[in-house]
Amino acid sequence: MSNILRRIEIPIFLTIVFTLIQVVPYYVYIQPLDDAASYIQRWILIVLALATFVGVISILQVHGKNVAKRSKGWYFSVIVLVFTIVMALVGLPLAEVGLGDKNPVYLFLFNYMLQPLSGTMYSIIAFFIASAAFRAFRARNIEASIVLVSGLLMLISNAPLFTVFWPPFKTIGTWIFAVPNMATNRAITIGAALGLIALAVRTLMGIERGYLRGGGAEQ
Amino acid sequence: MVDLLAVYVAVFLTLALYSMLYKDTAWYRIAESVYLGVAVGYGVSLDLLYVRNQWATGGWATPGIMLGGFIIALVLGVLWYFRFIKQYFYLYRWPLSIIVGTGIGLALRAVIFVQFTDMIKAQVKLNLWIANDMMTTFNNILIFIMVPCVLLYFWFTGAKIRETAPMKVVDKIARYTMMAGFGSAFGYTVLTRFSMFIGRAQFLLGITPNPPENKIAFIVLGVLILGSMVAYDLFFKKKS
Amino acid sequence: MAFLEKFMDMDRRWVYLLSWIFVLAPLLYPLGLPIPINQEAIKWYDTIDKIPNGSVVIFAPMYGTSGMPELFPMTVATMRHLWSKDIKVIVVGFWTEGPLVFRTLLTQVDPTSYGKVYGTDWINLGYIPGSETAMASFAKDIPGTVSSDFILGQPTTSFPMMANIKTAADIDLIISIETGTPGATEWLRQWQAPYGVPMIVGCIGVSVPGMAPFLQSGQIGALLPGLTSSAEYELLLKKPGLAVAGVDAVSMSHLMVVALVILGNIAYFATRGSKGGKK
Repeated sequence: MSNILRRIEIPIFLTIVFTLIQVVPYYVYIQPLDDAASYIQRWILIVLALATFVGVISILQVHGKNVAKRSKGWYFSVIVLVFTIVMALVGLPLAEVGLGDKNPVYLFLFNYMLQPLSGTMYSIIAFFIASAAFRAFRARNIEASIVLVSGLLMLISNAPLFTVFWPPFKTIGTWIFAVPNMATNRAITIGAALGLIALAVRTLMGIERGYLRGGGAEQ
Repeated sequence: MVDLLAVYVAVFLTLALYSMLYKDTAWYRIAESVYLGVAVGYGVSLDLLYVRNQWATGGWATPGIMLGGFIIALVLGVLWYFRFIKQYFYLYRWPLSIIVGTGIGLALRAVIFVQFTDMIKAQVKLNLWIANDMMTTFNNILIFIMVPCVLLYFWFTGAKIRETAPMKVVDKIARYTMMAGFGSAFGYTVLTRFSMFIGRAQFLLGITPNPPENKIAFIVLGVLILGSMVAYDLFFKKKS
Repeated sequence: MAFLEKFMDMDRRWVYLLSWIFVLAPLLYPLGLPIPINQEAIKWYDTIDKIPNGSVVIFAPMYGTSGMPELFPMTVATMRHLWSKDIKVIVVGFWTEGPLVFRTLLTQVDPTSYGKVYGTDWINLGYIPGSETAMASFAKDIPGTVSSDFILGQPTTSFPMMANIKTAADIDLIISIETGTPGATEWLRQWQAPYGVPMIVGCIGVSVPGMAPFLQSGQIGALLPGLTSSAEYELLLKKPGLAVAGVDAVSMSHLMVVALVILGNIAYFATRGSKGGKK
């Protein structure tokens, strides 16, 4: 029995069925199918939400192992574990016992830890961009020169310091955005759409199985 | 008191992350570890709250297809966690394939319009002659030429037709167009990243609506963290 | 020549230090540079200003805390503008942190000061897990997909403003403030293509180039790109905030990057000659 359940055809079949349930009623109105599609759209959100602990358990596995084995930097793993568990526990939607998204500890962790950390983590890239621009942004050939000039003009156009003294800078920046940038991104959008359709067709034919890969778990 | 603690914690974590600009230090590793823990854990609250609300007021408790569906959803929800048990990993694929199938279906049904036909329509509708607006005419002609060139550039990647003279012209136009586009992307990327840094700088300086206490915390903790890193370097340099 | 080579090879931490100086200095000592108002901000302002009375608008903060520095100012300014008008606003998020970000907004902007009553003039439906699937479900069945509101935890249908709002067809405009996926493309696929709901997008700079084709084709009605445009919008509203406070720093940081790139290239070409024309 378990050999039958292990067969890859089952998830492939499920993928095909659920894809068609969403696609067919969009083009061909069949009341029961349309109702089924609507029902599944609502129902699937519950299935998705219940996957919330997958990340938490992964973290506990990896960092728990580090702590158990006293690997290099294991004390940092202790920090990760403590904050993961505390955040997950105080955030449980049990308002009756004072837990949930209005819990003071949860709010403290969100407002005074997650918010500053998250904003800072992404802002660090600003420094790397400045350094990389200084070290590597060179007009080595025609194409590099075009990138350089276009990039500099865009920078200048985004800074009021320049546009206030010479408004045509803004016009040039707008032109770069609306013409070559727009043309590039339109072509990329069309290409991406065709790629998505190709991927969907391959998935429907059962050829695309990348999402089913993986052997799972620790011993 | 809690407010002051909150201020110092927030400023410390901000500066600890920024300390990696000097060097990868324990301060940075502490902040990174805290970030990882909190970021992974916080979503649990809102996801489970959604499920709870759906049960309470979403009609799923109604006997029949709704209750049956909810029970099946719970079962599938449990199957996610067989991802961690190698022997039963195959069970994890079932909810995954349902999610992927539904997601692909929803994207597929409208992508042909939104990202393909609407783009083609906009391209075809370009007015290639506007008598009293030469600039727009020029721009439209450029777009009219550039888009197909970039498309052809991608479509015939690696094909022999690339060697022919017309395709060489197409290639050149496409490459120059894309380079200009990427330059524009670079400009906007700098805007985003520095805007994010400016936001953090406003926080550190206690600029309204951020609490003014942040400024003092920034100076105190900045001196401490930077001082400790420099002192550590000097001490070890001295030792070696 | 040796100086130029040393200059090109200088420790990157000097660049980092320069970045700190060029950002902190104008924040501490504002330059007070005038901020020209450009077409994007004017279009955004006009689009919102022209929303007819009685319309129903979805306002979606589609970003997390990482995007707050750049997007929070435009979020605050847009909500002020919306609350100053006689329209119904539904706040909903498809990013986990969206509702929590909006909660931060409520500590800075009080809707009651605009005479707005929760449940009658505006409602916060919170976070819906599921990205594009959630957006599709929400379009098809609004009260079914979100059965309780986020602030009071009461059934969505119990609020007066939700009495006649069932599907996307009952919505007049989507305002999406976003950093990535799910975002504009998903809104277009699940709301505009099937139901024809118009939308406008405010986004971070990194996302702006990708919006260009949708803006040109008219699928997006208006685009507010990044912090500088947020500052212009704040000025149009005559409520300068964090964006205006940060514009001088934007200017100085951009000046720094432009100068570094130009100097780096000058040094490169000058030393390239001395190295025998090596590329």
